[in-house]
Amino acid sequence: MALIELTNVTKRYRVGSQDIVALDGIDLVIEQGEYAAIIGPSGSGKSTLMHLLGCLDTPTSGMMRIDGIDVSRASANKLSEMRNQKIGFVFQSFNLLAKFTVLQNVELPMIYAGVTAQERRTRALAAVERVGLSNRVKNTPLQLSGGQMQRVAIARALVNDPRIVFADEPTGNLDSKTGATILELFRELSEQGRTIVLVTHDNKIAAQTPRRIEIQDGKIV
Amino acid sequence: MNLWLGLLLGLKEISSHKFRSFLTMLGIILGVASLLSMFSLTAGMAKGMREYMQQVGGIEKVGIITQDVPIEQEGYAEISPGRTVADAEAILKSADLVSYVTPVSELQSCAITRANQLFRSFVVGAWPDFVPINKHEVARGRNLSLMDVENAQHVCVIGDGISQRLWPELPHFNPIGQSIMLNGCPFTVVGEFTHYEREEDKRRREQAAKAPPVERDRTKRKPPGGAPGGGRGGGSGGGMFDRKNAMILIPISTMFYEFKSASVVGLVDQGPNYKLDQLSFQVADTAAFQQTMNQVQAIVGATHRGIEDFTFDTKQEWFDTIEESVQSTRLSGGMIAGISLLVGGIGITNIMLASISERIREIGVRRAVGAKGRDIFMQIVVESAVIGFIGGVLGLAASFGIMKILVMISDKNAPVVELPAVLISFSFALIIGVVSGFYPAIKASRLDPIEALRYG
Repeated sequence: MALIELTNVTKRYRVGSQDIVALDGIDLVIEQGEYAAIIGPSGSGKSTLMHLLGCLDTPTSGMMRIDGIDVSRASANKLSEMRNQKIGFVFQSFNLLAKFTVLQNVELPMIYAGVTAQERRTRALAAVERVGLSNRVKNTPLQLSGGQMQRVAIARALVNDPRIVFADEPTGNLDSKTGATILELFRELSEQGRTIVLVTHDNKIAAQTPRRIEIQDGKIV
Repeated sequence: MNLWLGLLLGLKEISSHKFRSFLTMLGIILGVASLLSMFSLTAGMAKGMREYMQQVGGIEKVGIITQDVPIEQEGYAEISPGRTVADAEAILKSADLVSYVTPVSELQSCAITRANQLFRSFVVGAWPDFVPINKHEVARGRNLSLMDVENAQHVCVIGDGISQRLWPELPHFNPIGQSIMLNGCPFTVVGEFTHYEREEDKRRREQAAKAPPVERDRTKRKPPGGAPGGGRGGGSGGGMFDRKNAMILIPISTMFYEFKSASVVGLVDQGPNYKLDQLSFQVADTAAFQQTMNQVQAIVGATHRGIEDFTFDTKQEWFDTIEESVQSTRLSGGMIAGISLLVGGIGITNIMLASISERIREIGVRRAVGAKGRDIFMQIVVESAVIGFIGGVLGLAASFGIMKILVMISDKNAPVVELPAVLISFSFALIIGVVSGFYPAIKASRLDPIEALRYG
């Protein structure tokens, strides 16, 4: 069974009196273990698609299944649960909590999963080690470089062992050399069997992934 | 997310904005402090009043006082002998609901002399029952006896204030057996009453006795544990007991024979005046108050030959008024302090709203990694409750400071801190903290995660 399955998904926004069609009849299947890039110019609807896939939002119409669960009409609480258990996010601007240490940032998803303090610590340490930052656990994000911050974000995304990781322009705020190491990390994770979906507008990045999903004017081309 | 983590998070948030949090708490601190101080001050006031009421005889003391006779009895009102010792004797004999009864005849401005000491004071002539009715206590020697009354003995029981004045150079002097002159007539002191003072003065005096002597003069006059305070030192602020401490009690018979056998009005001797100044009794059981009244009414009605020239003077109304005024002081003070707490709560709401707009991004991140709306709601409410909690604790501490200052600048009744008042003030602060967090928390929990992530 496909990990993600979208059938005729549309998303409309109302801005003022204008109806904007952000996604227009998307059909998409992503299999377990795939490494894909969603690519498209700004305004193409790729962010909207990622919000839907990431369970931050629900479609206006159409059918959407993630890991066999129909989320097209799910409640806000159900969506929160999905984000917590099945999905990991990596953002362009890292979105780490500046007042907390690296370890605490990585522990954050587990707090909402109800994991005990001791297990949180073990798992967070393991995740931080996986991204190669074991020596910085006590630091706060502001004491880290951009690449290190993104690694912390990746550790946070992985810590609840999600079925799929979404990365929204993960290298957008990084210089090309650091960006390359981050992409390398994603490739490694993919080789270990993680399902990863990158969202980007950069063809060079999309060229490195086995699968390209091009989107334009709300449609997959 | 559990409560414990929420608490830690709230504390972290508060400690990362220490000054701002303190300003936010200040409203709660002042509110709680004023609420508790107000409660404690009223409680202290009420305690002082009750103490005083008890000292003047309590609710069970009833006086029989004269009143104008009803209009239809005016013509033959003279057939009533008025209040006399016979009334007291009749009550003593027949009123089984009365525990003590005494007639009282007073002598104002009597010259009191011993050696070279001379001053004027009042003298009370009564029966031994006068002592229990008026909550007097004999500290040394003995009370008057029925035999003293029967034989019109020249004996007296004096208040502590009188011994102070008669033996000013001897603060701890035992006057029993000494002779003093009342209007030139010798009396033997057979007893001395205790030194009456407010509990608070007593406490203060004992503390002063324990503490190293700062004011040497005062401590010298008041030996540790000693009853009589120095002439004025012990009496400071105890004004309401001054009269009680200045008591000179003699048998009523002696009073009549020595001082009341002639009453000169306008250079003409009107003959003996055996009318009483007071006639009071003590109700044995306050539950049977009205029955006791009816009984005494019937007995005194008979000795007065049916003339209704007397009525009862009970403290009931007075007590009720005092209790009522304490209640209303507490209520209005509580309301004002409550309003200041509410204002503090509005301050919390305001700051929490500001703090949320600062943290929209953080809320978005938390939602993205799986926080539910109710997790966010709880985080904000707990944070606001923590502000209320800390504010409450600091407020309680502050109120003790405020009370200390109030006690120092005024010599009134010391505030009494009661546990319920502490609990009420504190839980009010906590409730205010929780409730003020509601609106910001609802607002935060309803933020759209996508919008929140894009913010800033």
